[in-house]
Amino acid sequence: MLKSKKIIILTIFLLIFSLVAVGCSNQTADAPTDSKPLIVAQRSDAVVLDPHANNDQASSRVMRQIYENLVNQNEKMELLPGLAESWEQLDELTYKFKLKQGVKFHNGEELTASDVAFTIKRALDSSHVAHIVEAINPNGIEVVDPYTIRIATTEPFAPLLAHLAHTATGILNEKAVTEAGDDYSQTPVGTGPYKLLNWVVGETVELVKFEEYHDEAKMPKIEKIIFKAISEDGNRTIELETGGIDIAYDIIGPDVDRITNAPDLNMVRDMNLSTTYVGFNVGKEPFDDIRVRQAINYVADMDLIVDAVYLGTGEPSKGPLGPNVWASNRNLQPYGHDVEKAKELMKEAGLENGFKTTIWTNQNQQRIDIAEILQNQLKQINIDAEVSVMEWGAYLTGTAAGEHDMFILGWVTVTGDPDYGLYPLFHSSTHGDGGNRTFYTNEQVNELLDLARVNADPAVREASYKEVQEIVRDEAPWIFTWTGEELTGIRNNVKGFQNHPAGHHKLWTVYFE
Amino acid sequence: MSQTKTLIDKQAVSINKKRRSQWLEVWRRLKKNKASMVGLFIISLLVFAAIFADFIAPEGFDDQDLYRRFIPPGSNHFLGTDHLGRDIFSRIIYGSRISLQVGFIAVGIAAVTGGTLGAIAGYYGGKLDNTIMRLMDILLAIPSILLAISIVAALGPGLVNVMIAVGIASIPSYARIVRASVLTIKDQEFIEAAKAIGANDFRIITKHILPNAMAPIIVQATLGVANAILSAAGLSFIGLGIQPPNPEWGAMLSAGRHYIRDYWHIATFPGLAIMLTIFSLNLFGDGLRDALDPRLKD
Repeated sequence: MLKSKKIIILTIFLLIFSLVAVGCSNQTADAPTDSKPLIVAQRSDAVVLDPHANNDQASSRVMRQIYENLVNQNEKMELLPGLAESWEQLDELTYKFKLKQGVKFHNGEELTASDVAFTIKRALDSSHVAHIVEAINPNGIEVVDPYTIRIATTEPFAPLLAHLAHTATGILNEKAVTEAGDDYSQTPVGTGPYKLLNWVVGETVELVKFEEYHDEAKMPKIEKIIFKAISEDGNRTIELETGGIDIAYDIIGPDVDRITNAPDLNMVRDMNLSTTYVGFNVGKEPFDDIRVRQAINYVADMDLIVDAVYLGTGEPSKGPLGPNVWASNRNLQPYGHDVEKAKELMKEAGLENGFKTTIWTNQNQQRIDIAEILQNQLKQINIDAEVSVMEWGAYLTGTAAGEHDMFILGWVTVTGDPDYGLYPLFHSSTHGDGGNRTFYTNEQVNELLDLARVNADPAVREASYKEVQEIVRDEAPWIFTWTGEELTGIRNNVKGFQNHPAGHHKLWTVYFE
Repeated sequence: MSQTKTLIDKQAVSINKKRRSQWLEVWRRLKKNKASMVGLFIISLLVFAAIFADFIAPEGFDDQDLYRRFIPPGSNHFLGTDHLGRDIFSRIIYGSRISLQVGFIAVGIAAVTGGTLGAIAGYYGGKLDNTIMRLMDILLAIPSILLAISIVAALGPGLVNVMIAVGIASIPSYARIVRASVLTIKDQEFIEAAKAIGANDFRIITKHILPNAMAPIIVQATLGVANAILSAAGLSFIGLGIQPPNPEWGAMLSAGRHYIRDYWHIATFPGLAIMLTIFSLNLFGDGLRDALDPRLKD
């Protein structure tokens, strides 16, 4: 008796101690306001600070502050002059860019056209970002004078300017890259308003204002920015509430109301360029039958699923492109929830007794939830689906090889141009690893996508893209699922912050009040 | 001649009696330890819940209803409902099935494989012993959860693979324990006697050595079940374990943690279930160890 009492007391003591120990960790004292840095938390740390060494959101968000592009894209995805003051299209293949003069890199070098040529050629050699610049002909890059450059594409490529605004095409300094060699990612040199001060890999990236920044109007208002990696979603919110950070990216659904209602916090919400979809492997039975795909579209109650999983953030997708992407077709008719119709279609397809299938997803709680609900709803048309949660690498390899049945994945149309949001996903030349993991093939879609890619006339392009979206809606290689939202939580004294739909928000406009 | 036979018979009877009374003695001592009896009681409850889950659970483990999500614990739903509107109490009951299955089967795999290896190593000694035990040392050098993660990553997630992974990861400790016991027993006189009457190695190991080395294996296995359940829950928490919608406690905890500030019950109850199970297995294991230790005879 005495012994068990001791055990119980010891257990209670241990529990209390562990609670206290957990609570004590990582308290940072506030710095005085005058030199107060802006602390921004995101889910993971930057992987690289070399735009050609990887293509991930966490890195892009930091690199947006360090590097600049020839062309800028504002929050409405409009194209504006960046390092190029002006440009003109010489013929259907060639653009001529006039560079701004007197632009300094962080190492003191001046920006010239040869840096631009160097950057694009280097990007073309990168296995991570070559697809973004692949339209450019490496032999068509011509330095006319130190401030003028001609860039030619192999074939006409209408969305070229949008691609030149992608963070992967941020302009590098040739000398800095050559000198640093393999260590370049740790010593990035750009022309942006902030330069790298210190990087503790996996934890924080510290940036400091670049005093010789070329644009007076865009001179940063805050001396120092610290990017902090906080992987646990709930913890970012808590850190924001306690004042440990000033800005928290990627707030999750359950926390949105909490931040909205907190007196000292603000939610900044804007629809972004991401979409989540449930894809069918149309190269495989029974999903090669359009009626089966449509039946599943009818039986899946997407509005309910999105509401349950994303808790009122973002919106149910109407089509493959979100509302922020140019030429997004807002008149598509959603399938709606119609079990009778679904049963009818399954009967027509000779599958009224259903079949066995699997739904693949990666380790993303929302996607797992979608898979679980879908699994449940598919029982209504006798489809027995098994959910398989896979490791990311295996997931990508498997879906690229066409080993899957149904799968859940996302796509971000970073450039804001429908070419980026449709061509890789529905053109038959991109089957598998290229992005078309449904193995969808439709000659008419191919033709329209090819046409819109080369045609310079926006009206022709818009019409083609809208038609593609209609065909895709009818032929249903996807269940359109969710269009995402940028959900940023900020403290009340943070002003001048605006979400960028591509997710890499500018921070040089931000100031404290 | 006949005299000796009766003598041996008598001896056998008395040994049998003695063995039976030895386990009775253990049970008597175990009963005195209240903490371990509490542990045993909770474990029995869990086993009962796992076997009769179909009758105890008010609902199925995957009966979703998206219109009744996040209901707090109350009269309709004893432990509330989760983020997909499933009854948490039912899921925990069904979850006990998975946890106990993983716990016992993983330990079974580990004890049988590790025990065999350890017995061979201890009995034959020499190079064979050296080879087997150095292999075990290599396995021991890798943290067991890390080893389990790599095995699951290679085999793919799922109930069976989790059992195999957790089982393999805990082989070395059984091998060591069995080897140590075999070493102390194999030089004793009764083994020599068995050898003298011509028993083969297999018979000596299975009939004479292992029964006498049972006590530490039982203790290790009881505590091992707790470890295995915890490892499986850990694997599921990071998404490498049991596949949805199966109600693995670790996976339930992981799915519920996003909502913990608004709906505490989703993550709390599976967590409590894990804690209670591990706690009672450990209490019982500790009690068993004390009861089986002859030096603690009162």
